[in-house]
Amino acid sequence: MRQLKIAIVLLLIGGVLTTAAFFMAFYTAEVQSFGTVTFDEAIDTAFPLIPSAEEGYAYGRPWFSQKIFYFHVPVAEASFLVLLISAFFGVRFLMTRKRENDTRSRVAMETSLIFVVLTMITGVLWTKASWDVWWEWEPRLTTYFIMMLMMIGYFVLRNSIEDEERRATYAAVFAVLAAINAPISFMVTRILPSSHPVVFQSGFATSNLVPFILGQVGMLMVGYAIYIMRMSEERLRERIDITKEALEA
Amino acid sequence: MTESTATVSKVPGLSWRQFKAILRKDIAMELRTKEMVTSMGIYTLLTLVVYQVALSQTGSAFDPRVIAGGLLWLAFIFTSMLGLNRSLVHEKDQGCLEALLLSPVDRPVIFFAKATGNLIFLAIVEALTVPLFAFMFLQQGGYSPGAWWMVPLVMLAGSIGVAGVGTLLATMSVNTTGKDFVLAVLMIPLMYPLLLGAVSATSAAILGGDGSMQQYLTGLAWVGGYDAIMLLAAFALYEFVIGA
Repeated sequence: MRQLKIAIVLLLIGGVLTTAAFFMAFYTAEVQSFGTVTFDEAIDTAFPLIPSAEEGYAYGRPWFSQKIFYFHVPVAEASFLVLLISAFFGVRFLMTRKRENDTRSRVAMETSLIFVVLTMITGVLWTKASWDVWWEWEPRLTTYFIMMLMMIGYFVLRNSIEDEERRATYAAVFAVLAAINAPISFMVTRILPSSHPVVFQSGFATSNLVPFILGQVGMLMVGYAIYIMRMSEERLRERIDITKEALEA
Repeated sequence: MTESTATVSKVPGLSWRQFKAILRKDIAMELRTKEMVTSMGIYTLLTLVVYQVALSQTGSAFDPRVIAGGLLWLAFIFTSMLGLNRSLVHEKDQGCLEALLLSPVDRPVIFFAKATGNLIFLAIVEALTVPLFAFMFLQQGGYSPGAWWMVPLVMLAGSIGVAGVGTLLATMSVNTTGKDFVLAVLMIPLMYPLLLGAVSATSAAILGGDGSMQQYLTGLAWVGGYDAIMLLAAFALYEFVIGA
């Protein structure tokens, strides 16, 4: 019960922080205009690109679609972290065979799936604003799409097995495989040519960094809160099941 | 019990003999029924027919060679799922998997033997498919493809990953109610990085031209790295899967 209270507090703080980051993104963050995008031609319909010597084309005017960065990147990184946590509890389950760890792994996977879907939605909005297409088979977008498919596969696998012990084991194994596969897919973007902006390579102004960190910390708090709340719900459900069985007996 | 296991594992070359025995069993069964290679081969052939339909409206200006790498791997990935599913369904239906688990064989040995068997059957189907594909779709000239060994090498490297990870996933999926559907749902996302590298390398080898060797080696290194990481993971996780 104490954990649930902490979760609610964290959810509130996280909500305030992400909202603050959202407002700061619009009011205090300066707009980056250096080489975040390298294209052979200018395709941003809202604001034309200016040729730059080193990086192909750069945005010389306010680039509003950039504002989504303060939501999109925190939620994407949080989703990745939560996937790793899910895999960690998967490994814990394989080692200990405790049902508790399986539930933790599953709940973490659910949380991660929520974040991945949010990443996909914000990513698609950004793609439309910046590249004027709703979807582009660009490596990093594809990576997240693949991650989402793996998570859906995880739940398909779970629903397709009757035996509880076996379901937990297979799910744990697949969670580990998914967590190994995700960074491999990520590295694809470093090796194969991509047009997704790589912001951190080109440096970062303080006015950008502050809302970004606020958003990131807030998002992790929200993620943790969702996880704890779902866990306490699961614990209650287990208790109900045990009570029901006891009553029937 | 523990004492006898300890003595058994001390016999030199025992794992290798067990590996050969399981592999020989798979090959003997295949030689008798010819079921896997036939079904996979015919499935691939039918895929090529569907390619003809898919490309039927492109006109003579379009050369299928530019997408040949992708078409080949598409056929391989789907036919491999068919074969993997069959290979493990047999084991399960005939109670062979239980017998293997009862015998004092290390679990990794079972994994590597099954994966090698699947790799061999997949490689046979690929070796039959590639010339047929070239005969059907790659007749237009004007290209300078790479050396003859380039395509087989990347096919082998890719197939190792497909067979290795696929054997692990198929062992899981035969125990689910969804069977082949579950295998597809699990396998295709996991195979994505491998397919991307393999298609890149295969296209470079088939198309040739400037910088194709560089692209080929990058793709091949990518596939090799994926194989190493994923096989290690599959090897470590197989014990849990087969014991559950």
